[in-house]
Amino acid sequence: MSESLLNLVPKAEAVQTMKDFKSDQEVRWCPGCGDYAVLAAVQGFMPELGLAKENIVFVSGIGCSSRFPYYMNTYGMHSIHGRAPAIATGLATSRRDLSVWVVTGDGDALSIGGNHLIHALRRNVNLKILLFNNRIYGLTKGQYSPTSEVGKITKSTPMGSLDAPFNPVSLAIGAEATFVARTVDSDRKHLTEVLRRAAEHDGTALVEIYQNCNIFNDGAFEALKDKDQAKEAVIRLEHGQPIRFGAKNDKGVVRDPATGDLQVVTVTPDNEDRILVHDAHTPSPTTAFALSRLADPDTLHHTPIGVFRSVERPVYDTLMADQLDHAVEQHGKSDLTALLTGNDTWSVAG
Amino acid sequence: MAYVIAQPCVDIKDKACLDECPVDCIYEGPRKMYIQPDECVDCGACEPVCPVEAVFYEDDLPEAFSEYRVADREVFDGLGLPGGSRDHAPLAADHAVVDAVPVPSRT
Repeated sequence: MSESLLNLVPKAEAVQTMKDFKSDQEVRWCPGCGDYAVLAAVQGFMPELGLAKENIVFVSGIGCSSRFPYYMNTYGMHSIHGRAPAIATGLATSRRDLSVWVVTGDGDALSIGGNHLIHALRRNVNLKILLFNNRIYGLTKGQYSPTSEVGKITKSTPMGSLDAPFNPVSLAIGAEATFVARTVDSDRKHLTEVLRRAAEHDGTALVEIYQNCNIFNDGAFEALKDKDQAKEAVIRLEHGQPIRFGAKNDKGVVRDPATGDLQVVTVTPDNEDRILVHDAHTPSPTTAFALSRLADPDTLHHTPIGVFRSVERPVYDTLMADQLDHAVEQHGKSDLTALLTGNDTWSVAG
Repeated sequence: MAYVIAQPCVDIKDKACLDECPVDCIYEGPRKMYIQPDECVDCGACEPVCPVEAVFYEDDLPEAFSEYRVADREVFDGLGLPGGSRDHAPLAADHAVVDAVPVPSRT
């Protein structure tokens, strides 16, 4: 692919710090909310990009996480429920000199906004989507969400949820996403590295961030955060590295030759050469999808984090700009006023 | 910006804050708990749970405790970003501001 689309965004004139990206708004999430950690990580990462703040936009939908744009000292829009990807698509395609970020949650992105999300992904619009997944509706005080586990007791499911949850990473890969990653709110180093990789990606990047709602779903990701449990529960994906984990690094992921599916095994000298080497850049989404299915949706054991998939594919913004240029070349520049006041009209019989 | 743990914590160390902090940025010193200001994400979970009201938002720190702002920063000099207190040993020494607080008599 040609040079990075990031180069279309003007650079900052001076060196930036985290402070430059903090707005004057008082941050209003519940004390202890994971959103604070994500905000701090994003504000801390932005200076690294070195882009002019005036050319950065954060677009959100509705939900706790969607308060994010108020707190970023950039342009932003707290938009319509589920529609942030649609608004951001318009911005990114019409203003290629902008770095466009979407902040959304599991309810906003996967319930009311499910369609907008999947179509942004398949089009490969140049957006960076941060999907805060806390597996609950927090803003409306604790109803089950599209990522809540089966049997979950909430205010709207007093006898337990009957719904099979979405796995956002699987969904994104199925929707033809070119970049899909997962990280955790409290692991700032990992979160920052994933943001870095997403920002570098040309096209839609979907980053699922496991985020603790300490009021309505506290400890939802404790298996991945507790020091001892995490060693057995978390699989850290690194491109080009064998997929191994465990307290003694004695677990690994292999492909079952009979079914082609992936499975977790205890590493032995006999099977060591069968341990899968992670290839995020492979064009086929098959293995990335299989990796996304390793985690147990209830216990979260064997949860991969990191970049599942990062591949190159033509970006919608570029294709559209090229098509517009081509149209002008062929037909000349059109006159919108002439079109609107022209005589290509219909009369509807009354 | 960050939250700061001031003098009321000295020789108390209830550690309720430690359980609440979602990013594990509160570290234990010999006589006081310390918030790593660059790891703190300003979520405020620690403030209401402190039984001795030792935790303050940096801007709201009472004048009498102003030197604790410096103490919580300087105690991490040379440690950089430790990366979370869950995996970190307690700090070997307190800041001089804490050392200067008289040790309560045990009579």
